[in-house]
Amino acid sequence: MVRLLILLLTLPMALVAFAPSARSADETAVKPEQIEAYVHEFNPDIFKLNADGTPVVPMRNAFSTPASDIAQDVASNNTFNLLVYLPFLILPQVLLVIVIFKFRDRGDGRKPATFMTNHKLEVLWTVIPCLALVIVSVPVWKLLYKMELPPTHVDTNNPDQATIIKVTGMRGPYSWEYEYKAEGMTVHLDAAGGQEPMVIVKDRVVSLNITSNDVNHAWWVPAFGVKKSAIKGRFTNTWFTPTMLGIFKGQCAELCGDGHGIMFISSVVVDAEDFRVYRLLQRHRADTDRIWNILRPGPGVEIDQPKLQEAVAKYFEKDTSEGRKFALRYWVAANFDALHRRPQDKATLDDLKLRESQQRARIETLVSSVAAPAAPLAVEAAPAADSAR
Amino acid sequence: MADTIAQNAAHYGAPVTLAPELEIKHYTGVMDWLTTVDHKKIGLLYFWFVVIMGMIGGAMAGAIRIQLATPGAVWEAVTAAHLNGTDVPYNWFSENRLLYNQFVTMHATVMIFFTIIPGFIAFMNYVVPLMIGARDMAFPKMNAFGFWLLIPASILMLSSFFVQGGAAASGWTAYPPLSLDGMHITPGQDMWVFGVHLAGVSSILAAINFIVTVTNLRAPGMTWSRLPIFAWATIFVSIIQLLATPVLAAAVTMILMDRNFGTTFTVFEKGGDPVLYQHIFWTYSHPAVYIMILPGFGAISHVFAAFSRKRLFGYISMVYALGAITVLGFMVWAHHMFTVGMPTILQAYFMYVSLLIGVPTGIKVFNWLATMWGGTIRFTTAMKFACGFICLFVIGGFGGLILAMVPTDISLNNSYFVVGHFHMVLVGGSVMLLFAQAYYWWPKMSGHFLSEKAGSWVFWLMFLGVFVAFLAMHISGYAGMPRRVPVYYADYRFSNLLTTVGYLMTFLSACIFFVDLFLSYRRPKITVDDPWGINDIQHSFEWATSCPPPVYNFAHVPPIPIVEQIAHRGENP
Repeated sequence: MVRLLILLLTLPMALVAFAPSARSADETAVKPEQIEAYVHEFNPDIFKLNADGTPVVPMRNAFSTPASDIAQDVASNNTFNLLVYLPFLILPQVLLVIVIFKFRDRGDGRKPATFMTNHKLEVLWTVIPCLALVIVSVPVWKLLYKMELPPTHVDTNNPDQATIIKVTGMRGPYSWEYEYKAEGMTVHLDAAGGQEPMVIVKDRVVSLNITSNDVNHAWWVPAFGVKKSAIKGRFTNTWFTPTMLGIFKGQCAELCGDGHGIMFISSVVVDAEDFRVYRLLQRHRADTDRIWNILRPGPGVEIDQPKLQEAVAKYFEKDTSEGRKFALRYWVAANFDALHRRPQDKATLDDLKLRESQQRARIETLVSSVAAPAAPLAVEAAPAADSAR
Repeated sequence: MADTIAQNAAHYGAPVTLAPELEIKHYTGVMDWLTTVDHKKIGLLYFWFVVIMGMIGGAMAGAIRIQLATPGAVWEAVTAAHLNGTDVPYNWFSENRLLYNQFVTMHATVMIFFTIIPGFIAFMNYVVPLMIGARDMAFPKMNAFGFWLLIPASILMLSSFFVQGGAAASGWTAYPPLSLDGMHITPGQDMWVFGVHLAGVSSILAAINFIVTVTNLRAPGMTWSRLPIFAWATIFVSIIQLLATPVLAAAVTMILMDRNFGTTFTVFEKGGDPVLYQHIFWTYSHPAVYIMILPGFGAISHVFAAFSRKRLFGYISMVYALGAITVLGFMVWAHHMFTVGMPTILQAYFMYVSLLIGVPTGIKVFNWLATMWGGTIRFTTAMKFACGFICLFVIGGFGGLILAMVPTDISLNNSYFVVGHFHMVLVGGSVMLLFAQAYYWWPKMSGHFLSEKAGSWVFWLMFLGVFVAFLAMHISGYAGMPRRVPVYYADYRFSNLLTTVGYLMTFLSACIFFVDLFLSYRRPKITVDDPWGINDIQHSFEWATSCPPPVYNFAHVPPIPIVEQIAHRGENP
C-alpha cells in the first residue's frame, strides 16, 4: 500500500520534472533518463517482484481501490447491498449457535418441544427477505443502465472527450490488440512479442468495443470495474472514466486455451500531456521499426553499419524534427527494454547485455549527427501525414 | 421379482408354485451384483461408484491445488518459458499446459456428473421406496440400466486422458468455439460429449422412475400431504432432471455435430452463434445446480427432525419452498452470462429473479433452525454435518446474493469469487449433505454403524477445510483472480496457499471416511430396526424394517401413524 502511494505520488512528479524539458522547443538533446522514464511509464513491467516476493505493481480491484467512475459506483452499490444482506448472513449463524448450545441433549430428561408451525413467524421470514430484495433492487437499476448504455454526458465522437478503442482478443500469441481509431494508432505486441498496455487518459471517457479473432475471451481490469466477453462475430461494449493515474493489471477472464493463464492485460492511465507524447511515439513507430530490424541483436550477429547509417538517414529524410529524433531514441530504448524483460532465449539475453550499450551509443551518434531541427517537437499540431499506420 | 412374489406369498401363507419358465436363476456373489434389479443393491452400487469417483475427482482437485499453491509459476510463464528452462518448482503442467485445462474440465465433470448427482440418486434409490412403503422402484430393470450406463460414461470420460490430444480441455461448460478446437483430430471432446450423453440418459431414466414410483407405489393411506419431505424433494428434483437434462443433451449434441458433421450451430463464420450454445447450456446447467442440492434439502430435514427429537417445522412451507426453487430454477439461467452482452432489460430480469431464489432458500434455512429450536439435540456425526451444512450453505448463499447483482457480478464473473461461491454451496452444501445422509442411513444400508469417533474427525476436518479453502477462494476472486488459470499474479499467493491447505484438510477427511466405510463392516451387526432410536418421533417407514432391509422390504406395509395425519396438515397437535 505504501509502495503504491509512493508510486502514485512520484509518477506525476517525475512527469512534471521531466516532461516539459522533453517537449521544449529550445532543447536540442533529450537526456537518456527522460527516455527511460517514458519507457517505464508507457510500458511498465507488471511482473516485477520485490525481494520479498510481493509484486512491484500491486493488483487493485473495484471494491477496495476503485480507479474509475464505474468502479466507484459499483463499490458503493456493493457496500450498500452488503449492508442490507448482512443480517441474513449473521442471523442464521447466531441462531445456529444458540440452538447448538441451548438445546443440546444434556441427558437431564428435558422433553422436546412439540410445536410444528408458527404462521406468524413463517410469514415474517418470507416477507422480510422480500422487503430486503426490494430495497436493493432500486439503486442497482439505475447503475445497471448507466453501465450498460453508452455514456451520455460526453460527445464520444470528440477524441478530447472520449477515447474509443476497439479491443480484439486473440491467440497465436495470447494477446489483445487495441485499435485507437480517432488517434490513428494500433497497439498490440512489443519487440519481444509481449503484450503492450492499453494507454488511456485520466478523466477522459474510455469506450471499449470488444471482439475476438478466434475463441471467446473476456477483457477484465478489476480496478476499472468492467468486464466484457470477447466473442467472435460480436461486439460487446463497455465504458468507464479512469479517475486515477497509474498502472492497472488484469487478466483474460474466459477460458481460451492453454495460454489462458498467461493472457495478461495491463492498462496505464496517464494525463493528457503524456498521452499526446504517446500518440506521437506511436505515429513514428513503423518508421523506427525499420531501423530496429537492422539493429535487433542476434547471437553473434554483427550490425551492418552502412545499412544502419542508410536507414537512419532515410528515417530523417522525411523530417528532422526533435519529435522524430525523440521517437527513434524512445523506440530503441523501449525495444531493448522489452527484450530484456522477455528475451527469446538465453543466448539473446547474453548478447543483449553485451551489445546494448554499444548499439545505443551508435544510434545516439547517428541521431546527434542529424542537422538541426527543422521544426520544434510538434506534438500538438501533428498532422497525419507521417502517420505510422 | 419372482422370489419376492414367492416370499410375500409365503408370508401370507399362500402356497405358490411358479411355472418353470418364470423361475429366475438366482445368482450369488459378483453375478448377483451385476444382474441385480433390487433398488437397495442398485443404491449401494451407486453409492460405491460415487465414493470411488469422488476420490478420483478429489485427487484431480489435488493436482490443481498443488499447481496453484505458489505463484512462482507466474515468473515461469512470462520469463522462464522463453529461456528454454523449466527451473521453476511447483509447476506440474509447464510441459503440457493444456493438461491443466484437462484437469480442470475433468475435475468438474467427474464431480458434477459422477459424484454429486448420482450421489443423491444413490440415497434416493435406496431410501425413497422404503420411505413410501414400496417393495421396489416402479421399473426395477430400468433402474439397473440407469446405473450401468454410468459405467461406460465414466470409462469414456476418464479414458479420454489417454487418447490423442488428451481429454476435453474446454471446461465443463464446453463453450464453443474453444470446444471446437482440434475437431477431426483430437477425440477427447467427443468422448466427453458421449460421456455426458450417457450420464444424461442415466439421470433421465432415474427421474422417470422416481416420479412413477412416488406417484404410484405409495403405501395405502400415504397421501401427498403425508409424503416424507425427502420423497417430495425426489419428485421435484426428478422433474428438473426430466425437463432439463434433454436440453443439455441438445447443447452438447450441437458441439458434437459442429465438430464432426459440418453443421454450423455455433460457428460464427457460417451463420451460427456461439452465444446460442451458452444460453442452451445454462438452461440445463442452472436447474442442474438444484438437482445437486434439493434432494439433500429433503434428506437433511429428516436428520434435523430425527436428532432434535422433534417433528419437522413447517412441512407445508418446506414443500412449497422446494416447488418454488424448482420453478424459479428454470427462469434464471442467464445470470451466468452477464458479461456476454445481453439487452439491459434482460439483465435486470435475470438479476431480480435470481435474487428471488434467496427467499424460498431462506425459508428452508429458518425452518430447519425452527425444527431444532426447543428440541433435545443429539450431536451424532450426521447432525454435526447437518449443522455444518447450515453454516457453510448460508455463507455460500450470501455469495450468491452478491453475485446476483449485475454491476457487482460484472466485476466478479468468471473470477475465483464464483469458484469459491459454487464450491461453498456444492462442497459446503451438497457434499456435506451427502456425508450427513451417509452417516444417517449407512446403518440402514449396510447394517453396521460408521464410527462416531472417526466421524468427528471427518466432520471437523471437512468443515474447517471447506471453510478455509473456499473462503480463501472468495478472497482471491474479490482481489481479481480469474478462474481456470494455471498461473497467477503474485498478489494472490497467500489466499491460494490457504486454499491449498484447506484442500488438504478436506481430502484427509474424505480419506478417513473412505477407510471407515470398509472398517464399518467389521463392527457388530445391527439387530434392531431403528438403530438411532428416532422412529417414535419420525414415523418413517425405512426405520420400520430390518437393517439392512430384506429383499422384499416389508412383510406388511406398516400403517400410517395417526400423528402423521395431524402433523402434516400444518397444525400443532
